[in-house]
Amino acid sequence: MIEVKNLYKSFGSLQVLRGLSLNVEDGQVVSVIGPSGSGKSTLLRSINLLEQPTYGEIWLDGKLITPPDPYLHFDVIRASNTYKKLKAAGGKSDEELIADIKKNDLLKKHEGSEYAAMLKDITGKNFQSTNEVREKVGMVFQHFNLFPHMTVLDNMIYAPTTVKKIPKDQAIERAKQLLDSVGMLEKIDVYPGTLSGGQKQRVAIARALCMEPEAVLFDEPTSALDPEMVKEVLDVIKKLATTGITMVLVTHEMGFAREVSDRICFLDQGILIEDAPPEVFFSTPKSERARIFLDKVL
Amino acid sequence: MKLDFSVIVGYLPMFGNGLLVTLEVTFCSLFFALLLSIPLSLCKISNIKPLQAFATFYTSIFRGVPILVQVFMMYFGIPLVTGLRFTAFAAGTIVFAMNSAAYISESMRGGILAIDRGQYEAAMALGVHYPAMMKDIILPQAIKSVLPSLINEFIGLLKNTTLIASIGLVDILRVGQLIQGATYRAFEPFFVISLFYYVLVMCLSYLGKVLERRVNKSDRG
Repeated sequence: MIEVKNLYKSFGSLQVLRGLSLNVEDGQVVSVIGPSGSGKSTLLRSINLLEQPTYGEIWLDGKLITPPDPYLHFDVIRASNTYKKLKAAGGKSDEELIADIKKNDLLKKHEGSEYAAMLKDITGKNFQSTNEVREKVGMVFQHFNLFPHMTVLDNMIYAPTTVKKIPKDQAIERAKQLLDSVGMLEKIDVYPGTLSGGQKQRVAIARALCMEPEAVLFDEPTSALDPEMVKEVLDVIKKLATTGITMVLVTHEMGFAREVSDRICFLDQGILIEDAPPEVFFSTPKSERARIFLDKVL
Repeated sequence: MKLDFSVIVGYLPMFGNGLLVTLEVTFCSLFFALLLSIPLSLCKISNIKPLQAFATFYTSIFRGVPILVQVFMMYFGIPLVTGLRFTAFAAGTIVFAMNSAAYISESMRGGILAIDRGQYEAAMALGVHYPAMMKDIILPQAIKSVLPSLINEFIGLLKNTTLIASIGLVDILRVGQLIQGATYRAFEPFFVISLFYYVLVMCLSYLGKVLERRVNKSDRG
């Protein structure tokens, strides 16, 4: 359902993601773990288009959600002026030329009309708008980000009624069900300011679900919580994991990741180092870096 | 000289009319100032350079030129060049509104920039489009945080409206000048006027406090 292809992201000179590829199947629960600064959050934020990737593509349900990356399409590279010029100079095989262009990032902004037309064609065939993506993929943030000037109920129904144009009574009905399922129904009319961190996060999860997304991304959902509130939030996420919704989870809660995930993805320095089922990853990690990381956190 | 407030009594209806004019000018100006300040502040935080430049230039003009000069310009100057004639009321209201909008948009800009990035991200992650996001999520919070400076601006505006007397509109200050002309007494009318303004400003401050408390309800619960 979510397909990340060769994703690069830099902030100025800082390279956060360096060629990361990842597939998340429908209904899978994938935990992304790794040391701080390894690019976990950036990966998640890229999937929800809160960050624009520098290179690479992200596909959602077989649709392209980022601009097409010419380096991922050989025929596009072949259509570029740079390729044609190098080809005319001769001396190298087709594969070598393409490898050269990719490695040294030789493509420029303008590479001729044929090149531009091909990129446009890819976009035209596959493109999905940012807001369509965001309706399909919900996100839960570390700092909850509830709207402080709206009651819990208004937080829940605001987006469904304004974005999806769901009738208000229907949205309220759904909000009530979801609040009930996260144990927050009695707080339906209060403002977020009066809630504890754990309660806020449970509302935030319900709010994301109120849009009926196909997938939910969790960006360190328990990292900003007091220790005694972590469990109530994890319990909610655990329950959600059994419903068959697709989930990508950035977390530092190793025990939890082990329990709920179908796969563990271990990131370090912007690269996917390991991708394995939890029982394999936690008992016999293949890479040295994962071993060192697990030694530190377990 | 002996004080004699009894001379004022006969002029009280005039004071009433003057007060009405003052309040009319103030509220009309405030209304249009608020209306104008929102797009202005959005221009200021916009990524589009020409919009930004325009809003910054606009503010610099109204900050840089004394407000009495602006009033004279609008009432005497511009009609001569453009042929558009304003009534004193219109000229005053336009100037006060545009002038206040410049100041309010500046504090509004600060208020918008002070909103946590996470609020934008949460709204975006829910698929909320930019106009709705600004209208329903960002601006309500920003306005709440600039409410104290809005009240200040409102008070400043109320006092600034005395300048409208200089282009002949009979506001409460002009009533005082008329009474002075008719009775040769200055202390009594201007004392009464001061009192009027003082009480008005105190009422506004109090109203502001009440309003602030009410909108902050959501923070305390």
